[in-house]
Amino acid sequence: MTGDSAAGNAAPGSAAPSSPVAGRLAVRRAVHRRRRAAGPARLLSARSRALMWSGIALAIAVYVLFGLVPAAATALVSFTDYADFPGAPVHFTGLANYTSMFTVNRPGFMPAVIATAVFVIAVTVLQNVLALAIAHRLVGDTRWNAVMRVVVFLPIVLGVTIVGLIWILFFDPGQGPGSSLWGAFGARSAFFGSASLAMPLVIFVQIWQNTGFSTMVFIGGLKAISPEIYQAASLDGVRAWQRLRRITWPLLAPSVTVNVLLAVVGAATVYNLIYVLTDGQNGTMTLGMLSFNAAFGTSGGANLGYGAAVGTVLFVVTLVVALPLMWYLRRRERRLLA
Amino acid sequence: MIAAPALRRRRATARLLTGVLILLLFGVPVLYITMVAFERSAHFLSSPMTPPTSPDLGNFGTAWSGANLARELINTVVYSVVASGLSTLLALLVAFPLARRLIRGHQALYALLAVGLFLPLSIIPLFIEARMLHLFNNMPGYILLHIEPGMPLGVVLLTAFVLAIPGELDEAAWVDGVSYLRYLGRVIVPLTAPALLITFLYGMLGVWNDIIGPTVLLAATSQNLFPTALGVYSYYGLNESYYTLFAAAVVIVSLPLVLLFAGTQRQLIRASIAGSVKG
Repeated sequence: MTGDSAAGNAAPGSAAPSSPVAGRLAVRRAVHRRRRAAGPARLLSARSRALMWSGIALAIAVYVLFGLVPAAATALVSFTDYADFPGAPVHFTGLANYTSMFTVNRPGFMPAVIATAVFVIAVTVLQNVLALAIAHRLVGDTRWNAVMRVVVFLPIVLGVTIVGLIWILFFDPGQGPGSSLWGAFGARSAFFGSASLAMPLVIFVQIWQNTGFSTMVFIGGLKAISPEIYQAASLDGVRAWQRLRRITWPLLAPSVTVNVLLAVVGAATVYNLIYVLTDGQNGTMTLGMLSFNAAFGTSGGANLGYGAAVGTVLFVVTLVVALPLMWYLRRRERRLLA
Repeated sequence: MIAAPALRRRRATARLLTGVLILLLFGVPVLYITMVAFERSAHFLSSPMTPPTSPDLGNFGTAWSGANLARELINTVVYSVVASGLSTLLALLVAFPLARRLIRGHQALYALLAVGLFLPLSIIPLFIEARMLHLFNNMPGYILLHIEPGMPLGVVLLTAFVLAIPGELDEAAWVDGVSYLRYLGRVIVPLTAPALLITFLYGMLGVWNDIIGPTVLLAATSQNLFPTALGVYSYYGLNESYYTLFAAAVVIVSLPLVLLFAGTQRQLIRASIAGSVKG
């Protein structure tokens, strides 16, 4: 609404300088008409075009310098034995960092591949099912639903570090509510320190952290479905399950695309949450965590070259998984919404 | 239509139950940490699960001064607001000409920027680059290094929003000689406000909650440059008697953000609806 009034304000303000001489205005419009033939940017004055270009250049400079260059450099560093020791010489080592992943020298690599696959699949499936269920419950605009939306969104706001630390406190083996809960069933666990429970718990916390965002996207998607479709379906006596399967789920296709892709990429590249929760111990060393750990970790030991190689493998694998997935989901949208 | 009142009652019960479940799952851990923040350390250690008999505000004062939280809160606000503000501005400056196809190669450039959503952890070269460009361990450098992460999402969102604004609007304004930046500020900014807000808030969250960035891009000795994430983290891992302080620090650090998001949640939902309608 504010937009309309601002657009209205802009017009009189801009018309002011051209109003005095009608002839000059006509000439100007003629010039602009000629310019329009050569593309919309021609409508802009030379000064405006210069400003437009400097804006684009500035944005791209920042993006290239601090986004693309580091990403490309990751690939470069991965071909060296760069180590973070002062004065240590850097050698080009070819593919050594990559080939070593499959040897006994790097026993952590293959388990990390498996841990990443388990983590990504579990998070993507469970997070989307949970988010859809919650979105379905919170889609109505009641006051309680508004409160609950804020609560579900809270973990996103709190951020990875604090969410991680809250759950560490919650599942503290000695003091936490988690151990009281377990104790009620006569069980004990080291939780994040347990070899069997650490991975499920990390999956749980990752889902808990990100469900709020997926829920918002699904609420938006559900609200976009026209209520008339549901009315028609209920007149035809369509049952709840059929309604979900045949109407809601297909029409939610765009939201599903967004949520599945974000969950896959988010889970594949996660490292900060695992860094806080387990530091990659007890079977939770995913590729993202391994990359960080090899380069900066206390146990990995300042091997920036190998860390970069793992990071590059992760990027390529993420892209190889995400791009066909995106292609498939987009095609599915077109098929279902056509 | 048969036995409608019974069905309605059952549905109401189901709604109540699912609502309670959602609140338990997402609210209880947050309530727990808030409760711990009001407990005395001794009480917490002896009976961690029971609420304090008399709420104690002492933790907040101790946490506030102990981890230099005041300084860190100022640092964090400066880092996140400036970096994310610049990030949003740059995203708009490139998204508008892209959406309007004002430049050649707009498709290729859009793809290049969208790839940024997938870029992996590049903290290793970023760390090397930061040291080479003298951006390591100083405030302007730390801000500059945090602008890029928010840009790809901003470009994708803003391009979609600009596409929904009729192009005749720009032509009419430009024919009348309105300057480019004035047009962006007076017309495009208000019309894309939800997308700008989302871009800004997500960018801000990213900087605010970054834990790897400060551990790698700031020296461990420069405590006056630390953001709150490090201060909060410093209370963790000491020992269990510090948990109450840690909880108080979490509450202090999170409160500004939680209030900000509670205040803007309506706009966020509206923006996510607008985004999904466009698909």
